[in-house]
Amino acid sequence: MITLKNIWKEYPIDGEELFVALRDVSVTIERGEFSSLIGPSGSGKSTLMHLIGLLDKPTRGDILIEGKNILEYNDDEISSLRNEFVGFVFQQFNLINKLTVLENILLPTTYTRKKLSYNPTQKAMEIMERFGIASKAKSYPNRISGGQQQRVAIARALIMSPSLILADEPTGNLDTKTGKEIMKLLAQLNREDTITVLIVTHEKDIAAQTKRKIEIVDGRII
Amino acid sequence: MGFIESAFFDFSRNKGRTFLTSLGILIGVLAVVLLTAFGLGLKASIEQQFEDLGTNLIRVVPGQILKDGNFSNSSSAFTSIEFDEKDIQKLSRIREIENTVPIFSKSIIVTVGNKKEISTLYASTAGIFTALNVNADFGKLFTESDVNKRSSVVVIGPNLAEDLFLSAKQAIGKSVTIEGQKYVVIGVTNKKGGGFGGGPDFDSFIYMPYKTAYTFNTNKTFMAIILQTKTDEEIKPVIGQAEDILLKRYEEEEFSIIQQEELLSAINSIFAMINTVLVAIAAISLIVGGIGIMNIMYVTVTERIKEIGIRRALGARKSDILIQFLVASIILSLIGGLAGLGLSAVIVFFIKPYFPAYIDLNSVLLALGVSSAIGIIFGVFPAKKAADLSPIDAIRYE
Ligand SMILES: Nc1ncnc2c1ncn2[C@@H]1O[C@H](COP(=O)(O)OP(=O)(O)O)[C@@H](O)[C@H]1O
Ligand SMILES: [Mg+2]
Repeated sequence: MITLKNIWKEYPIDGEELFVALRDVSVTIERGEFSSLIGPSGSGKSTLMHLIGLLDKPTRGDILIEGKNILEYNDDEISSLRNEFVGFVFQQFNLINKLTVLENILLPTTYTRKKLSYNPTQKAMEIMERFGIASKAKSYPNRISGGQQQRVAIARALIMSPSLILADEPTGNLDTKTGKEIMKLLAQLNREDTITVLIVTHEKDIAAQTKRKIEIVDGRII
Repeated sequence: MGFIESAFFDFSRNKGRTFLTSLGILIGVLAVVLLTAFGLGLKASIEQQFEDLGTNLIRVVPGQILKDGNFSNSSSAFTSIEFDEKDIQKLSRIREIENTVPIFSKSIIVTVGNKKEISTLYASTAGIFTALNVNADFGKLFTESDVNKRSSVVVIGPNLAEDLFLSAKQAIGKSVTIEGQKYVVIGVTNKKGGGFGGGPDFDSFIYMPYKTAYTFNTNKTFMAIILQTKTDEEIKPVIGQAEDILLKRYEEEEFSIIQQEELLSAINSIFAMINTVLVAIAAISLIVGGIGIMNIMYVTVTERIKEIGIRRALGARKSDILIQFLVASIILSLIGGLAGLGLSAVIVFFIKPYFPAYIDLNSVLLALGVSSAIGIIFGVFPAKKAADLSPIDAIRYE
């Protein structure tokens, strides 16, 4: 479904020097996979995930989605792909605190250019029902628990029915019990909704719950 | 929650900052609206006074008042020749002239019992009433025979009548004292309004037969002669003949012959000039206000970098972000504009009894248009900055 070919990502540091965050990374993620990207802190996991999620561009290399090189797309087309193709889940939840839970979940639908085949609010309510957060629809994110906030974030990632969900340390800010529940939820989305899920983590027991492990050390896949 | 509510949310969280930022726009719009309100009122009242007079009037006055269609500012404007009966007789011989009205005017104090009022005395022929389009509401106007008999009669304006005799009706037949002489009030004129901004206040005048007024006018001279023609077409030939007649006695720059329309357009050009100055002042305060808005919008963008990153990650395009911040800055500017408009309306409401100011639809549209435009012009750079943030840098921003 998505293929990265010979990807390099370099950051300029202190003028002349270059910091190489990703070195010649090639990886393919197939439709329906439940995989994890594991490696120590600073190894380049988030950098790689941002490239897969089309939030960032590599210094060199190609990114193909369904065989098409998306680096040839313009900014609006890439924005639309992010909107419809990918759903992000972050360690810090990244909800907008001045919007209600429901408004946060609906936010991606306000940016879509395609005609939705469903009623967005109705769909949001269904997802919230399923995630046990329906009673929080009118609450503000900073008034609910971390586990609930992460459920809201996942609901927001799901609202556009994406092919791919990218979760960057989704349990990193949660206690063990809540973390397990979130992992169960992500596994369920992969199993029952056949959504491709990629989990970024530095914890072995989290990665152990996925079917495929992609290991990264010092910007290199091993 | 749309952009508009979202913008209001941000502004309501920072009420003090929002208020201070819109203050510049508020003052600018207040200036524009109030100044046009006063200007419009003044202009309308002056134009009204001239319209009352009709267009088939020609004024012959000393000095050079108009130069190339504008009021002259050279010293010749103050050359003080005065016209006399000889001029009047010669001018009245022009065939197309229907009415020759000499005018002697003087500021005087009128006394009735122990009441004293300051007024302007207009001494003329009976024709002055035709020329100024004045009628008697009570009593009657003086006639040519009153002029020739030097009757001790006066016709007074309704405001003056009320001030001196409580009501216009009661004034008829009573006498007034002017510089020690007694005169009988034979008529009170109809209300005309006016008197603002230096325009003539017909309602407080005293009219007297010009020969009666020779008591005050010992030189028997006049500061103006009004010539009235039957039709507008006759104005041009009459001006030519009047010029020929007067040039036999006076130098070219010692007198002016002014058409009503010329005077009106000269007044208009003064207003145009005043307007330009006002617009410049308002523009400066609006620009200052706009710069304030730009500053605050830059701050807002910086405060919301993370939010911008989140929105971009969820699929917002650059143009979505641009519009979001542009709407916010237009709203900020409109808040100032509406507050300025509201404040002007309140001020105009309270000042209206004393001055003919008014706010017209154009001022409202101008205020809203200008503040929207300021919001766009000064919001576009911060909004562009927000839109051009790289999604990844924005979402990683802490
Ligand atoms: N914008 C950037 N500028 C400079 N260095 C960066 C930038 N983003 C990431 N890095 C560096 O790249 C390396 C990999 O970062 P990251 O992908 O976030 O690691 P991980 O998610 O595996 O902890 C880190 O050393 C980090 O400091
Ligand atoms: Mg990371």
